[in-house]
Amino acid sequence: MLTELETRLLGIMMMVIMLGMGASLTPRDFLIAFRKPKGILVGVACQYGIMPFLGFLLAVTLGFPPGIAVGLILIACMPGGTTSNIFTYFSKGVLALSIMMTSVSTLVALVMVPLLLEFYSGQAGISGDFRIPPANVAQVLVVLLVPTMIGMVLRKLNPNIGATIELLGALLGVVVILFLIVTWVPRNHQLLATTPWPVYFSAIGLGLIGMALGFFFARVLRQDANRSRTIALETGIQNGPLAALIVTLTFTGDLQQQVLLVPLLYSLFIVLTSTAITLWFRRISDREALARDAAKLGSRAAA
Amino acid sequence: MTTGSSPAWAALWQAAYRVHQIPSVLPDLHYRSLAEFVHERCQAFSRDDPKAKAFTCVVPNGMNGSLSFSQVDALSDAFAGYLRNVLKLSAGDRVAVQLPNSLGYPVAAFGVLKAGCVLVNTNPLYTPSEMIHQFNDAGVKALVIVDMFADKLPEVLAKTQVQHVVVAAVSEFFPAIPNAVVRLVQKVWAQVLPPIRVPHVRLRAALRQGSTALSGQSTNGFWKDLKPSDLAVLQYTGGTTGVSKAAMLSHENLLRNVQQMIAMGSDQMQPHKECVLTALPLYHIFAFTANLLGFLSIGARNILIPSPRPIRNLQRAIENYPITWMTGVNTLFNGLLNEEWFLAYPPKHLKASIAGGASLHTTVAQHWREVTKTPISEGYGLTETSPVVSFNPISDKALLGSIGVPAPATDVCLLDEKEEPVAEGVPGELWVKGPQVMQGYWNQPEETARVLKQGWLATGDIATIDAQGFLRIVDRKKDMILVSGFNVYPNEVEDVIAQLDSVLEVAVIGVSDTKTDEAVCAFVVANPDHPSPPTVEQITAHCRQHLASYKVPKTVVLKDQLPKTPIGKVLRRALREEAM
Repeated sequence: MLTELETRLLGIMMMVIMLGMGASLTPRDFLIAFRKPKGILVGVACQYGIMPFLGFLLAVTLGFPPGIAVGLILIACMPGGTTSNIFTYFSKGVLALSIMMTSVSTLVALVMVPLLLEFYSGQAGISGDFRIPPANVAQVLVVLLVPTMIGMVLRKLNPNIGATIELLGALLGVVVILFLIVTWVPRNHQLLATTPWPVYFSAIGLGLIGMALGFFFARVLRQDANRSRTIALETGIQNGPLAALIVTLTFTGDLQQQVLLVPLLYSLFIVLTSTAITLWFRRISDREALARDAAKLGSRAAA
Repeated sequence: MTTGSSPAWAALWQAAYRVHQIPSVLPDLHYRSLAEFVHERCQAFSRDDPKAKAFTCVVPNGMNGSLSFSQVDALSDAFAGYLRNVLKLSAGDRVAVQLPNSLGYPVAAFGVLKAGCVLVNTNPLYTPSEMIHQFNDAGVKALVIVDMFADKLPEVLAKTQVQHVVVAAVSEFFPAIPNAVVRLVQKVWAQVLPPIRVPHVRLRAALRQGSTALSGQSTNGFWKDLKPSDLAVLQYTGGTTGVSKAAMLSHENLLRNVQQMIAMGSDQMQPHKECVLTALPLYHIFAFTANLLGFLSIGARNILIPSPRPIRNLQRAIENYPITWMTGVNTLFNGLLNEEWFLAYPPKHLKASIAGGASLHTTVAQHWREVTKTPISEGYGLTETSPVVSFNPISDKALLGSIGVPAPATDVCLLDEKEEPVAEGVPGELWVKGPQVMQGYWNQPEETARVLKQGWLATGDIATIDAQGFLRIVDRKKDMILVSGFNVYPNEVEDVIAQLDSVLEVAVIGVSDTKTDEAVCAFVVANPDHPSPPTVEQITAHCRQHLASYKVPKTVVLKDQLPKTPIGKVLRRALREEAM
């Protein structure tokens, strides 16, 4: 489990991350985005349609005990993480779409996460001590909306401060995960060694399968390849630190240790898998650019 | 040639001046040099409001830095002190400034002028061989360069007599934290800060040394002996057509052109109240005279954009500052009109926009008026004329497709191939005479003699004049296409193709053809926001409907983008090379 100090630090870092997310946009950005909402709607559908169902499916088919299952469902129900924006940037994706999807899914989370968590926990037959009270989740999210709003106001008042905390927030998303790995992994190497492979499979697979499904779903709905890759990254990358925060605020002791396992493993591996996927996407983007050049020459010959 | 415009024509635009309330004569020259102009203006505006900001530089994520009028004055004094007292340069020595739009630009450029030196504006994107040519041609002794391109220096310094290098950053004069963040992002993330392998001084250090060397004395001694006819700026030109040569612009040329510009728009410009978006590079004569000098003269706040491409880089600047004026070229206005955020929230304080540099397409102008609900007025100018020659009234009375009436104190005439005046409405080459016409090309007496005759400058542009005194550019003389003996003007064909919603941009050139001597060739960029890209057949069919058959493009090439000059003019020369 996490110490009292770590839990507090996690809370503070989460505040800064949300401050940064708020600072990454203006109210205008929202209004503009909702004039052509298709991309965002597709993204929200991936985030709250595909991912929670995928988490639930993995939990049930792999026959996890309730502690593991609830952790898996929780991470699957999370909104998009701010780190997805960094990966999108590096993969030459559509940054504006990524920022907007993260923000919208975080706002919608207030309603969607408690509902979905309650629903899938029930379906998976999780009961008693292992249930995360929806009110808890809603409370955490409401509290986190405050720094988000402050971030938006800061951006408006002073663009220099706004842009600085935007970068800080995005970087801190990675820092938090590294922080958890550094403090948590060494203390729990015994646990990691005895964790059965299906748990690893679900923690890694959730992100990868989520990305694949997000990509195909976006393609089916006629988003272009680049937007689809952005949606894929956004779908697969969940807000891991937020899940960890909710777990630490809800459970203590051994229970916390069990529930925290999948969110932490997920966060650890998503950094690695996203990096690999980002490099791959980047290569595809470059190849597409070359292909466009070639097509240009072709149309010239035709003309 | 037959000198002197037809007096009947002068009467036409004199009448237009009365209709549009444009003064027909210019006031006396207040200042003897640009140095005096900058100093006096900065002093006056900082007396009115010590905190008033003169320049604000905005990078794409919204981070920014600003300089007040008094800071600009003091810092440019310090730089003048550095050039004269530390580097021991003399009055008239050439100093190149090779910076993108950033706070270092006004400090360095004004510093050069206050030192009594000659400013050589240089494009930061130049290749080493272009830099070598320009620096040797101008005899540049000192160079102010942006750190991003300092990797070209070893090669350049070895082949020129440039003795001193001052290095500035894009985020120069930003507050400490944003400056650190921008530099970190440039270094680590974008990796655009190469190591600098030649002896150099940072701008900040140069300013400290200069300030110490001045020891409280005014820079007045450096510039008080300057005469209005002394050389102020060497402005290189010829980028889109041929070998680069420098127009010699005097202090008077530029001061007069500022007066001419202000005369055209003065009734709508309030001192201290204006905020101008400067997305075009200041090293180009359009933004140099209009934005840097013109808007400084009325105490406006200049919002400097280091790089307007991609066009999204302008979003935070337009959102965060009450932009009242904009200058731009056709491609910039068109680019903005294709941005969702711009269409949703056009700048609400905007009063008017000024277009120049290349012809403004009628469709773009109309769309701009609809979206911003403000006038857009096209003007016309050349590097050789500091640059403004003619301008439309800045109001709804601006005539679309026209470059307006000659600026006050400017004389124009239209001559045919025998250099005889043409009749009204008939196309002829535009010749210009006025206080803004350059002194000649630097060290190029033959080139000068070819274009400057008895005070008249041949522009190489074909124009017509109408009964109201309004001029229209038909096309560049060099761009005209001769199809089986018929003249085809690329602008006309481009205007027709640009009417298609599925077309984002278009450029038309002539290519050699065995049957018709020359044939029309169109390069078209599809509009990404349109559901379907245009096809060659659609474009050709549309042209057949609106153009005489010899003007219809024989070939249509679909492209991802068009090659452009730094300010966004389409590089027809590159297209011609591609078509060969």
